[in-house]
Amino acid sequence: MTEEALENKMQIKNLSMYYTDFKAIEDVTLDVPARRITALIGPSGCGKSTLVRCLNRMNDLIEGVRTEGQVELDGENIYQPGFDTIGLRRRVGMVFQRPNPFPKSIYENVAYGPKLVGIKDKEKLDFIVEDSLKKAALWHEVKTILRESGQNLSGGQQQRLCIARVIAVQPEVILFDEPCSAIDPVATQLIEDLMAELKENFTMVIVTHNMQQAARVSDFTAFMLVQEQGEPGRLIEYGDTNTMFTNPTDERTERYITGRFG
Amino acid sequence: MKGKGARADKAATAVFWALGLITIVILAFIIIEILARGLLTAINPKFLFGKPEAMKAGGGIFPMVVSSLYLAALTILISLPIAIGAAIYMSEYAKKGRLSNFIRFCLDSLATLPSIVFGLFGLALFVVYFRWSYCLLAGAFTLAILNLPILLRSTEEAIKLVPNTYREASMCLGASKWTTIRQVVIPTALPGIMTSTILPIGRIMGESAAIVYTTGLFIRNIPVSPFDTAAPLAGYIWYAQSEALVPDYRQIVNGGAALLLIIVFAIYFLARWAGNRYQQTKLLGPKMK
Repeated sequence: MTEEALENKMQIKNLSMYYTDFKAIEDVTLDVPARRITALIGPSGCGKSTLVRCLNRMNDLIEGVRTEGQVELDGENIYQPGFDTIGLRRRVGMVFQRPNPFPKSIYENVAYGPKLVGIKDKEKLDFIVEDSLKKAALWHEVKTILRESGQNLSGGQQQRLCIARVIAVQPEVILFDEPCSAIDPVATQLIEDLMAELKENFTMVIVTHNMQQAARVSDFTAFMLVQEQGEPGRLIEYGDTNTMFTNPTDERTERYITGRFG
Repeated sequence: MKGKGARADKAATAVFWALGLITIVILAFIIIEILARGLLTAINPKFLFGKPEAMKAGGGIFPMVVSSLYLAALTILISLPIAIGAAIYMSEYAKKGRLSNFIRFCLDSLATLPSIVFGLFGLALFVVYFRWSYCLLAGAFTLAILNLPILLRSTEEAIKLVPNTYREASMCLGASKWTTIRQVVIPTALPGIMTSTILPIGRIMGESAAIVYTTGLFIRNIPVSPFDTAAPLAGYIWYAQSEALVPDYRQIVNGGAALLLIIVFAIYFLARWAGNRYQQTKLLGPKMK
């Protein structure tokens, strides 16, 4: 890690979230540095997916969800009343656990986002589609079959298609919610390489239960944990990935990383 | 012990196989019976494209075929937009609670009412009160109400089958809820919606009780305006069998039944084909140079 001053793309400040009466995460404060990869690790049910979904307000779509605290994007609280959530989701894109291409062609999948903002010019769309697929390292595999359904691709290719679909919208931040849990090791490797390349232009947050993956791809790691059954998930420790994996401060982090529980 | 288990398993397989076979046999029997009696009459051009006779033998059935198709088209035209709209509301917007439970209860009650009740309602409202007299539109509105519960339920099921991950992906790309519904949910559900429209079409074509009081029973000219009196096949078959004065009414009944069967099957396969084709072409979009 270089010593250059890191600017924070997003800042989570004292964030708590409730599903109706159940408190899912409590008092999380965490910085997401720009053009770096931040990994969220922790055992199942610790609230890491919930937390990442707070970053583009996808939890708003679930009935009965309530948040306290702030999440800032470039210094602006995204939970302030009247904040444009649609614009937010264009700036903060998301790749999901299971590859979820639309039942449309490969081309239409990638062109979906640009078309939403009113880009109709075919040449422009063609360019965006090609460019996004290239950036997602998928172009050479699909350039001759762009009209075929995105769902005919293999799982790993589908996931890269979903990444291309997000890139096409030119977001500033990309959230990955366990992006490799449903695909094989070779495809996982491809996606990890891809993330390393995307770091130049995008800020990324990855949720993973795979600690090796967190160690391989991320610059910063945050460890979350539910202490007792029924308690909310809390942020236990946060820091430079190297430090977190070699010399964690908190005993619980160490026990989790060395595989003694979770 | 092992032998006994295997024998029980074999017996169970045989029983279920036989039960499955019975349904096929019943369907096959009905189809063969109807076609054997009426196919030759049905495909005879003089019958198929001819005008019906009031008193003498040799009348055709063409205005009735047109009436049936016209009525089915009008009914779907009226009920499908309502059904899709309501289904979108029920599956995408309505919060689970009292109101949506009440709507469901009303729909289920509506679905259990006998069709003759709808016929009498249509007679009172459209034919008499609105002074439309017996006409296609009165029949179409009556049948639209009659079919709404089934159409809505099956449309709702088709929409619910769209995986939630598609909605999430769309929202995450900066689509509004309405855009997501329009661009992703409806196109994905459309083949399902089309298939779910077929069942009601079969019912509309076969319905007689509800149209006897609203659309009409006998005509000689092809209906043109929705306000023209018409005589859909199913109603005309009933009329020919029980009231008509023509000597060859048996032949008309058999030919009409065969024709009705053929048309309903044709629509069924056409709709399935169209649904599949839509899935293959429309969703895959334009070619890239």
